[in-house]
This record gives sequence, structure tokens and C-alpha cells, in this order.
Amino acid sequence: MKKNLFKLILFFFIIFQLESLAEEKNYHKELITDWSRIFPDQNRNAAGPKFFKYIIDKEITYKDFKEYNKLYCAVSGSLIDPNGEPDFIFVKESKTGKKICGDYYKCCIPCSCDIMKYSEVEKMKHKFSDGLNEFYVFTIKNPCKKKDFPDRVNKDYFCDGEKINNNQVYNLNGRIVIGLLHEGRSCKKEELDFVKSHQVTGRFCELRNSTPLDSLKTGMGDIFIKLAR
Amino acid sequence: MISIILLILIIPNIVNADFFEDITNKIVDNPKRLSYGVSVADIDQNGKYEFIVTGFGYPNLALTHDNGKLINIANQNVFSDEFRKTIGVAACDVDKDGYEEIYFLNTDTYSGTKKYSDRLIDLDGNKFLDMFEIEKNKEDLNLTAGRSVACVDRKGNGAYGLYVSNYGGPTRFYEIEDKKIKDKSINLNLDKVTGGRAVVSGHILSDRSDIFAANERGANFLLKNNNGVFEDVAFDYRVDDVIQNGRGTALSDILYRGRLDIISGNWQGYHRAYVLQNNQFKDIGSSEFDKPSRIRTIISADFDNDGYDEVFMNNIAEPNKLFRIKKNGVFEEIILETGLETDGFGTGAAVADIDDDGILELLVSRGESKEQPLTLYKAKVDKQRKYLRIKPINKFGAPARGATVTLITNQRKHAKTIDAGSGYLCQMEPVAHYGIRKNEKDFKVEVKWTDGTKNLIKINSLNQAIIVKQK
Repeated sequence: MKKNLFKLILFFFIIFQLESLAEEKNYHKELITDWSRIFPDQNRNAAGPKFFKYIIDKEITYKDFKEYNKLYCAVSGSLIDPNGEPDFIFVKESKTGKKICGDYYKCCIPCSCDIMKYSEVEKMKHKFSDGLNEFYVFTIKNPCKKKDFPDRVNKDYFCDGEKINNNQVYNLNGRIVIGLLHEGRSCKKEELDFVKSHQVTGRFCELRNSTPLDSLKTGMGDIFIKLAR
Repeated sequence: MISIILLILIIPNIVNADFFEDITNKIVDNPKRLSYGVSVADIDQNGKYEFIVTGFGYPNLALTHDNGKLINIANQNVFSDEFRKTIGVAACDVDKDGYEEIYFLNTDTYSGTKKYSDRLIDLDGNKFLDMFEIEKNKEDLNLTAGRSVACVDRKGNGAYGLYVSNYGGPTRFYEIEDKKIKDKSINLNLDKVTGGRAVVSGHILSDRSDIFAANERGANFLLKNNNGVFEDVAFDYRVDDVIQNGRGTALSDILYRGRLDIISGNWQGYHRAYVLQNNQFKDIGSSEFDKPSRIRTIISADFDNDGYDEVFMNNIAEPNKLFRIKKNGVFEEIILETGLETDGFGTGAAVADIDDDGILELLVSRGESKEQPLTLYKAKVDKQRKYLRIKPINKFGAPARGATVTLITNQRKHAKTIDAGSGYLCQMEPVAHYGIRKNEKDFKVEVKWTDGTKNLIKINSLNQAIIVKQK
């Protein structure tokens, strides 16, 4: 009995020591540290794609990839607080037109509406340091031919002439990847109902999405709309 | 066996109990006030250091140690000057007379244009005078709100300049040229407009005095000294930290390898422990060390004379923190009881062995949004522990601020800067203070002067302060 108790205490002691020695990776701190590398001109307006490209180019595990992608807003390009909660949303899949549900980490509420209305998701495969994985990403169509390309967005980040700048952003089937839809899957009926009846993704988004663009005065999302519409 | 294991689990808490002793009662006449930066210099030229404490709408103080007490000896209006609202302070020998002048950075507004200029205090006989009030020096007054100031011997010739970290206006760099105080910031390409916060100067990259300036709402500057001219290399060395807001900053030999690295605290952001590796600074701060806080002053010093530096983090309206830097850059938190100041509005702090007993005193100034008295602490030190204090004096006879002292023993190569301005609004005593480790021997000290030349001295006995003069 005494022997077993001793073993148990020793086990917990070792676990305790190991836990205190292990340093959790701080994804948020790394993005802050590298911010000036990601945005050399310090303009991060609508620059979610820059974050995505920076992250996908890293030699990381799939878990790391998901964690990094929780920390920026695909619409505005803002960093998100590490304790931020996602909105559950649906977005149309480009290829099938089906609605895909999942979690979207946003900097502010209007961004959830904008991503639902102005982006589409596509399935993407990528080989991480711990293996091949498949996931859904938010995409927007190539904005580089736009005559009214928003002047507050650094065009060089997205475009090489009229083509997508593959060195700066991730090009998936001729569309720009702007972020990750977390836990993406085909929507069930009750999930669609949940999104439509939610006070943000339902009522608020209905109001926002029916407001003329010129009347929208809520920051970065408007820039994104001009880029993505 | 079980009791042994339980003992092991309990021991760390016992070891960490009550690091500091509160000796605030040694300060004679210590009313509630709004204080900011603190410097340590010999204001009356009697060979003893004073704590210079700035007052924001309160008098600037000069606290000297006398008969076991700290007494204010500043009694001349040009020094006390409670109307100009002083915030930053640094001392160095600007006019090469062998004595340090005191730069008081006044800030009657927190950003942009201010009403009253700064002061540069010189002692003329028994009388303090403000060098900026002399007619010929009035051309380049600093009329921009600022925070910190640091002394920079950019040419390595003992003629100190003053880097004034301004907020919402151009940085200033004052030097005496043709017997006149001139702002050389434009010539030196230092006149950048930013939210200037903290500034340190020393041997960071080159063999001359480099500058690290921690800024708010803009990138930090790492100004490499190329023969007296500066080049900003913060981006290349990865210390620009663009989206964080710099505050307390100190130079510290984090890896005990004989070079100065950078500790940089960020306001409610990640605090950095930057260590130079392969021409880039890598942040090696642990998750406990880097935890965001309302940081103000940061001090790296060996408070308890155990041969390992501690890092004191002075937070405003939030508990202070203390870490010991162990071998290989491991930060061990020391749980504070005394000195925690949970309800303290810390605005500045400095260390000095003000009573000359071989143990550092820590003076904490407080204020900003609540009037509070100063506090004074001293580590509870095992009497068996030994120390060594090195005071480098430059060729003019003044403290060699910006020089680097390295203690070389059988156990470490430990560099310390002779503080040119650090913490945040503050400046430490111009002494390299070392506690001595267990079983440490073969003591040598290397002094690297501001011109990059070096002197090596063999140390024969401990528990003393050694003055090293530049030839």
C-alpha cells in the first residue's frame, strides 16, 4: 500500500516538474514579433491573405497552423486577442455551391457578415511537418483587374499587374486565400437554422448586408467589401 | 521517503519568501507626492551619490545618505523647480569638467508642444545654474513633450551628448559645440518623430556607445554607432517590435557571456529578453517573464549579492514582479511579499548602494494618477555573501557612463553597463555592482571604455569598491 502511494506521489511529482519545464508555444507573441516582416510597409488593411501566406509558408504542424489562423481577422487584417471566441457561420463553397459551416475568428462583429456575404470557401490540401491535411479556406476572386481597387489597401500585396501576386498571397485555383474556416464541414439543417437565427449572424448581418455600401461606416470591413465584391 | 518528496515540493516557496526588507522609514520627510524618474549622481561633488527624484508639480529631490537616513539636500529653486513638472532625468559630464550635469526633462503636457523647456543643471561653486538659461544656449530649447533621456558619448572622447526621447515631436540630441549647447539631432539623422518612451545607451553592437530607444505607436530604434554617426538597424536585428508600446528598458548580460543584451518591457504587451544570436536578437523570455503588464521601470541588478542578476519589474497600479536570471537565460520568478506594492502607482525606480554597505538599495517613485510617498527596499542578504563594486572614471575624472565592466572568474564572464540612462525615465548609479557566487575564484575585471579600448585588472580582495581610471 505504502509502496503504491509512494509511486503515485512520485508520478505526480515528475508530471508536475515536466509541465513546469515545458514552455507552451506563444503563437500570438510570434505574430507580434514578426508583424513588421509580414507587413513591411505597416499597412495591414484587408491583409488577412498576408497572414495566411506567412503562416502556410512556415515549417509547422497542422495544430500550429490552426492556432496561428485563430489570431488574425481574414477580413480586416487585424490581430485578434488570444482569448477571442469565434462566430459559427456558413459560407458558400465555390465548386459545389453548397453551404459549408464552421468557426470564424474575427476582430469585430461586422466582419462575420462580410465574410459570409463576400467570400467563398474552397477545400485545400497541404503537407505540414506532421503530415498531409485537408481543410476549408476562405477565398476571394482576383481583385487585380478592378478599376476601383481600394486605395487604402496595398495593391502590391495582392497583385502583380492584373495577376495574383503568388509571392505575397496564396493563390488557390485563381482565387486569393484570405483565411481558414475552422472545423469546416457541410452544414446540417439545424446548423443553418442556428446561424440564421443568431443575433449576429442572423439579424445583425441581415441589416448590415441590406445597407448600401456608401452608407456603411464601420471601418475595415468596408475596405474589404470594396476589395472582394 | 514521502516526507522527503513533500519537502521538495514545499522548498521553492520557502526559498522565495520575503526577498526584500522595507526600509522606507529611512527616508526623512516622505510625503505623498507625484514623482517620476529617478537618477543617481553626486550632485554636491562630495564623492557620495544621491538619489535624484523628479517631481511632477512637486519639487525635485536629492536624497543623500546621512547618519542612517535619506535626507533631501536640494534647496535651490532652479533644482527643485516644482512648477516645470519634471518627468525624466539623467546625469553625465557634458562640459568635460569631471563632474556630472543633470538633465531634467520637463513635461507640462504628455504629447506635442510644451510650455516650459528642459533644464541642464550645473554646479557653479555652491550654486546650481541652468545651462539652458544662459543666453547663447537658448537657440535650441526642447519645447516638445518627452519621457526619457540618456547620456551618449558618441565619439568616445568623454564629451557626453544627451539623447532626449520626445513624444509627438522630434528626438533631440544635445551636445556642447563651440562652448554652446546645440541640438545635433538633424545632423545625426536622429530627429525622428515618434512616441518616444525609454532609451538606453552602451556597448550593444559596436565598440562605441550605441542606443536602443523603445517607442510607442511606432518601431523601436536600435542606433548603431558608426564613428559617431548612427544607423537605425532595429528591423535587421529584429528589435523593432512595431505594434507594441515600449516602456522599461535595461541592458543586461542575460546569458552571463560577457556581452550586454536588452530587456525591454512593453505596456500591457509581451516583455522582451532580447539575446543577440547570429546577428539578430532572439527573445528568450519565458511565459512568466513576458506576461503582459502595466509595466514602467525595469531594473537588472544583483540585489541579494548571490552573483546572479535579478530583474525588477515596476508596474503601475498592478503588483511588481521580480525574476532571477539563472544560468542559460532561465528566468526564475521570485515571489514578492515586501515590495509587491499591489496598490502602488510606480512611475520610476533606481538602484544604488546609497549607504555604502555593499548591498544595493532600491528606491521606487510613485505617482501619476495618485499621490503616494517614495518607497525604499533592500534585499535580505546572507551576511556570508561577498560583493565587488567597480567604478570606472573617464579621463576627465567623471563617471564613465556607457562603459562596460566585465567580471571574469572561474564561473562566469559577466558584463554590466555603467548606466547612461535606463529603466524608464531613470538612471542607475554609475557603478558595476557584483555579488559573488559560491566557490567563485580567479577574479579579474575588464573595463571597456566608451572609445572601445580595454583595461584588465586583477582583483586580489573582495568586499570593496574599486575605482578604475581611464588613462
